[in-house]
Amino acid sequence: MTTAAIIVAVASFALGALLALLTIPVLVWLERRVAGLVQDRLGPNRTNIGGFRLGGVVQSFADVVKLLLKEEYYPSHIKSGRWLFMLAPVITFVAALLAFMAIPFADTLVINGESLRISALPINYGIFWYMAISSIGVLGVIFGGWLSHNKYSLLGAARAGSMVISYELPLGLSILAFIITYDTIDFNAMVQFQSGTFFGFLPAWGILVQPLAAIILIVSLFAETNRNPFTVAEGESEIVAGFMTEYTAMKFAMYFMGEYVAMNTASAVIITMIFGGYQISWVSTEMLLENFSVFAFSLMVIIPLIITVLIRWMRKNNRVRPSIKADGGRDFETKVLTIAMVGMTLLVEAILIYLVFLSESSLANSIAVTLFQIVVFVVKLMLFNIFFILIRWSVPRFRYDQVQKLGWYYLLPLALLNIIVTAIVVVGVSL
Amino acid sequence: MLEISIFSILALFMLGGSIAMLVNKQTLFSAFGFLVAMIGLAGMFALLDSRFLALAQIMVSVGAVVVLSMLTILTINAKEENLPHEPNKYKWIAFASLLVLPITLLIYKSTSALYASFATMQTINSKVVGKLLFSEWVLPFEIVSILLLSAMVGAIVIARKDVVQTQGEES
Repeated sequence: MTTAAIIVAVASFALGALLALLTIPVLVWLERRVAGLVQDRLGPNRTNIGGFRLGGVVQSFADVVKLLLKEEYYPSHIKSGRWLFMLAPVITFVAALLAFMAIPFADTLVINGESLRISALPINYGIFWYMAISSIGVLGVIFGGWLSHNKYSLLGAARAGSMVISYELPLGLSILAFIITYDTIDFNAMVQFQSGTFFGFLPAWGILVQPLAAIILIVSLFAETNRNPFTVAEGESEIVAGFMTEYTAMKFAMYFMGEYVAMNTASAVIITMIFGGYQISWVSTEMLLENFSVFAFSLMVIIPLIITVLIRWMRKNNRVRPSIKADGGRDFETKVLTIAMVGMTLLVEAILIYLVFLSESSLANSIAVTLFQIVVFVVKLMLFNIFFILIRWSVPRFRYDQVQKLGWYYLLPLALLNIIVTAIVVVGVSL
Repeated sequence: MLEISIFSILALFMLGGSIAMLVNKQTLFSAFGFLVAMIGLAGMFALLDSRFLALAQIMVSVGAVVVLSMLTILTINAKEENLPHEPNKYKWIAFASLLVLPITLLIYKSTSALYASFATMQTINSKVVGKLLFSEWVLPFEIVSILLLSAMVGAIVIARKDVVQTQGEES
């Protein structure tokens, strides 16, 4: 391994870990703010550190401190298997975290003729890895539910287990349809396939090439991650909190964070498989590298526009009601953030100008393209996470038998039919 | 040296998991032992650089077999006092493990000379795996599927007897 390869590997691993772990507080915050949006209220936005509220993200850190300092209550009726009772949330969390590691954040970076993958695990069988590792997660739920020695927990665990079994089948079959279409099990090759077009103008995104399989994939992943409308395993109106009933403090927080990591992973898989991953449609990596100066100039125009809109939005919204005199440091926060944003924009512009006019190295260009693709990936990831959250706050929960019926009676036959049609079409095209 | 230490740790996990599965009274701990043994086995495959087998092992044994057996355990919800009384359990386990030792050695000798294509697949090439499965290995593949089919038919027959009986009692 060369030095460059080691640096890229370490950097992508750090990026993967950061994207998986640092999105947890952001997602918790987004969940509460989007809930506020849906219910026409504000959500948490007062917590601050020295006047900095960042729209309320600081609240998540206060929550973490609360969960860490809470009393570690241990139910006394649990006689045997304490260690497994403690281990169960960790299994769920680690499985969700590891499953995220196969996602590519950008196209392969070519340094001195050596192509390096920008994903935490540089493997070319990503979808296989995801399917294998994510199936471990439910084991933590089942262990936790069983060892709680509590009827509600047991019901929740049984529900979670049977739901995973019923939705793993349509999930696997819909993924199989994508594998037939893309002709690969490599996430990166899937994204590269999606940067092309079909019928001459439509982007070859999975949702347009395979609409039925895409819908089945999204629905099954909602079920796999235990998100609404499939929260039957922890349906608080029926079975208290399901498998989480006996869990407190940090043990509960592990389940809680595991759910958000799983949601993040599911969003990443969905955008990688059916929404073009880190690519912008119609624009492939080669095209960006060939026309780098055009790309850089358009970035130079677009970034200040976006930043201007952001700053104007912040100046308009980041204030208390006019009738209240004390602003609680909000003007100061707005000022500092404005300066920071303008400074960063100027820095990016300077780097782009340097790359276009002064630098001759193509390596710097490809690193710039890679960074751009990472940004695109993160933006898409966050958009799809918001979609997950919006669904949670706008759709009521299914009854348990309806969940099973949807899985077995509708999704499974549809996925099977889709595979047959896909196979016939693919073979027919290749003839 | 590193390989040997990793191998020893994995082997310890596998042995411990298998023994825990056999010895434990509570069925869920047996399932956990099975889970540990299976993950250890997947680790063995990964140590041999056959990533396809390692991931397939996790996907099939952990994702399907362990989850299904745990679901069965949850559904049956057997109490410890309802389990059969086995006074000579440990003697039988020791005796049986001595008994299968020559057979295990025979299997090891015969399979170590087998076709090494699956075992040396460093990067998973799904096309090669598919073509091998449906050309050279099509007979074992079909035999395995017949085995699964017979198991499924057997399960349905066993379950159906209960259903028919309860229906007969009701009417």
